[in-house]
Amino acid sequence: MSGARTAGELHAEDVSFAYVGAARAALRHVDLGVSPGEVVLVTGASGCGKSTLALALCGLIPSRVHGELRGRVTFGGATLSGLKPHEAAQFVGMVFQNPNLQLINQTVQSEVAFGPENLALPQPEIAARVEECLAVTGMAGMRKAAVVTLSGGQKQRTAIAATLAMRPRVLVLDEPLSDLDPVGAQEVLATLRRLARRGGTGVVIIEHRVDEVAPWADRVVLMDDGRVLLDQPPHAAWADPAPWLAAGVGIPDMVRLAHAVPGAFGAGLPLSVEEAAGALKDTWFEAALAAVAAGRARTTVAAQATARRVPAGPPVLAWDGVSVEFDGKRAVDDVTLAVDEGEWVALIGANGSGKSTLTGLTVGLGKPCAGVVRFGGQPVRPGKVFEHAAQVALLLQAADDMLFETTVLKELEFGFRFRARPKDPVLDVAEAIEFFGFAGREDDSPWELSQGGRQRLALAALLVGAPGVLVLDEPTTGQDADHMRGFLRLLDQVRARTGITILTVTHDIRGLASHASRVVLLGEGQVRLDGPASRVFAAAGELARWGVLAPPLARLQTTLLGQAAADVLLDVGELAAAVLAHRPGAARAGSSPAGALRP
Amino acid sequence: MMNSLFVQTIIAYLLIFAVPLVLPFAFLKLVGLSGLRTLVTYEAKDTPLHNLDPRLKVLYPIAMGILSILFTWKAMLVVFGLTILPWFWLRPSRAKIRVLIVMIIGPAIAGFWGQGMYYLPPPPIHFLYKFPWTMAWLGSPGITTYGMVFGLEQTARVLVTVSTSMLILISTDVGDFTWAFERFRAPPHVGFALTAALRFLPEMIARTHLVLRAVELRGYDMSRPRWYQFQRWPEYAKRLSRCVVLVTVPLLIGTLRGTTTMAMVADARGFGTTKRRGSLRVHKTTAVDIWGYAILVALVASALVLNHLGIGARYYG
Repeated sequence: MSGARTAGELHAEDVSFAYVGAARAALRHVDLGVSPGEVVLVTGASGCGKSTLALALCGLIPSRVHGELRGRVTFGGATLSGLKPHEAAQFVGMVFQNPNLQLINQTVQSEVAFGPENLALPQPEIAARVEECLAVTGMAGMRKAAVVTLSGGQKQRTAIAATLAMRPRVLVLDEPLSDLDPVGAQEVLATLRRLARRGGTGVVIIEHRVDEVAPWADRVVLMDDGRVLLDQPPHAAWADPAPWLAAGVGIPDMVRLAHAVPGAFGAGLPLSVEEAAGALKDTWFEAALAAVAAGRARTTVAAQATARRVPAGPPVLAWDGVSVEFDGKRAVDDVTLAVDEGEWVALIGANGSGKSTLTGLTVGLGKPCAGVVRFGGQPVRPGKVFEHAAQVALLLQAADDMLFETTVLKELEFGFRFRARPKDPVLDVAEAIEFFGFAGREDDSPWELSQGGRQRLALAALLVGAPGVLVLDEPTTGQDADHMRGFLRLLDQVRARTGITILTVTHDIRGLASHASRVVLLGEGQVRLDGPASRVFAAAGELARWGVLAPPLARLQTTLLGQAAADVLLDVGELAAAVLAHRPGAARAGSSPAGALRP
Repeated sequence: MMNSLFVQTIIAYLLIFAVPLVLPFAFLKLVGLSGLRTLVTYEAKDTPLHNLDPRLKVLYPIAMGILSILFTWKAMLVVFGLTILPWFWLRPSRAKIRVLIVMIIGPAIAGFWGQGMYYLPPPPIHFLYKFPWTMAWLGSPGITTYGMVFGLEQTARVLVTVSTSMLILISTDVGDFTWAFERFRAPPHVGFALTAALRFLPEMIARTHLVLRAVELRGYDMSRPRWYQFQRWPEYAKRLSRCVVLVTVPLLIGTLRGTTTMAMVADARGFGTTKRRGSLRVHKTTAVDIWGYAILVALVASALVLNHLGIGARYYG
């Protein structure tokens, strides 16, 4: 951070903080400034101190979160840590990660009015603030809606509106996108940018999903082990990928592509698909990409003609004309779908498209109002969760809710109290301990494990029961790039070891869905697209229609080639290598730097 | 003689235990946790009832409660009927109606049954069914019509308050409650406690439901035996009680995390900084409100007068 400090600037000066009883400081000598109207992205691996920094910036440390604080956080001339929380909140407002926990009132407008009412402002002032905040967050049309009826994105926007009603000069948001689908995420980001540009509000976004936030940010701050490792404008921040790779934080796909195909994008690094497409239009890259697409189209047609897949037996999971209703509304509408043994299927769709309802039916959660769900040809009986859980292991998004025992070992043995041990387990308890990395921690409490560790434990505990299918509900939500890659690697290893069929529900289009062998798009409770990820993500129009944003690489290809991109490449390395192979003079050049940057 | 005593004992057991066993089962089957969640969830609508003065709404269950205490059984039925009428005005969702009906009929049957066995009139007692001596350990000599009628009467009194409170609960934004309490000079913390409870009760119920499902997904057998599988019921009861212990840990941890965040949010939004809060709402007293107040005052005043005159009044003695 450089430059002179302005009057409306939030500033952390040499801030260090250690939680009570912690052996190591969560923040170490952090210097950070946020100017009016600036959007700052703060990112870093899980546990690097991002959320602690957010609490410090809002003045909630040490008054509400206790520990030893050194240095100071100031706004203008005021030291925030010396103010009462409501006083600090009028300088810096915080939006917490889970909107459910910060919406205290029952309707949208009551929630937004709550802060100004507490300040005992006159009614016209309260009404004006509510109007303004609802308008700026795009929630004016839902002012009387009950909070429980809102989608994740709407709840997040309500939380932002409620925080804004305190008229903070800076807004700090801790992982505001974690529960949002990509379209909902873009809505929230657009709202924040509008606030910054029009209202002059400083915005600090703490987020793992750098790919989505980077195009909206004015500055990027990378944290590692409680320190600020890097603080630069976005185009400069990723000029050198080394610190990002070292910190285990994701790099936007467009940046990775630019590094993998040097010179293709001109002087600057592209951050968004639009920027990249603009730079590549009418260049050799576009021509090479068209040649790659044509080649892939020929190969795909030939492959389809020669190798029509014939399933070895009946599908392991099948939904035959299944519909589910909640209060007269169809959450799932006449879905017919089959998953064959050994497949890895990703179910994608906007929030509320029926993904979790559909997968829940495989273990008897919920009851179809029409149609039948089958496992191995046998109907799944609604409500008989215990019976079906032996065949279909469902890992909930909140894996913490699936841990009930006092030690890791007991957790793994939990299911065998009520059900016979499988005769021929692919993975028994001892093997699971080794395989999932719990050796030496058998007697530890599950709550002593990291969040990733607890998720692995819940997964291991399900797998020792030898299920035929593994269903994962949003398993990578809120995880940093390293954890996400680790989890994907783990799933690959599990598949290689057990041959298990995997069905995932996910918003993680770029990672998890692109990794699956098949992608199914749900829209308003119906199957809208079904096929390999490379083809589904090429259908940009259909995806957009159902509220899904394709991965950046896919969007780049469809933006540049339009209909010709019927089968897109989803891996930066692959795409770069394919394009470089078609670069004029490529045969002479020989080597390529495509593999220089790991994902 | 022996046969007769045996048969009488069996009948007595059935009569005594049928209701306590069937009611929880019916509650789980027809209401369950999701039903409870539906019941306490505010329904945002634009009905005249939603737009009534919140103070009037707070006073309504209190006034009807007073009436239910003052009147005799027959007059009580009229009061109970009166409390049902506004429901037609509100037109709640089907899901809510189903849950409400179970929640009203369930306690009615329980009260009617329990009092029928244990509330005894002065002698001579006329029994509908007299229990044999083998049932003496239960402390009830048999079932009486007198007790049953008394049970219904008591239940109806409770249901008047339940019905009116539920009506207000699902048709009033908690912010309006808070406003009304503040106008009644109650401390803001009362309103906030109510707000938080009503807002998060449905969330808590949903979370409990989720964790119970998670236990099953982990292989914990929660399957209920068939009613005739008597030998499996004790084991089922044991599993249920063990399950309560199991789900407590994740529920407690989740709740504690949630309350910490909520407390920080309340602090950051300035809760508790002023003795008297402002309000977004401008509740102008309308003609409907005035009529409402007038009716409530008239009802309570009439009840007091009638009670004083001994008309329809309860007998204490």
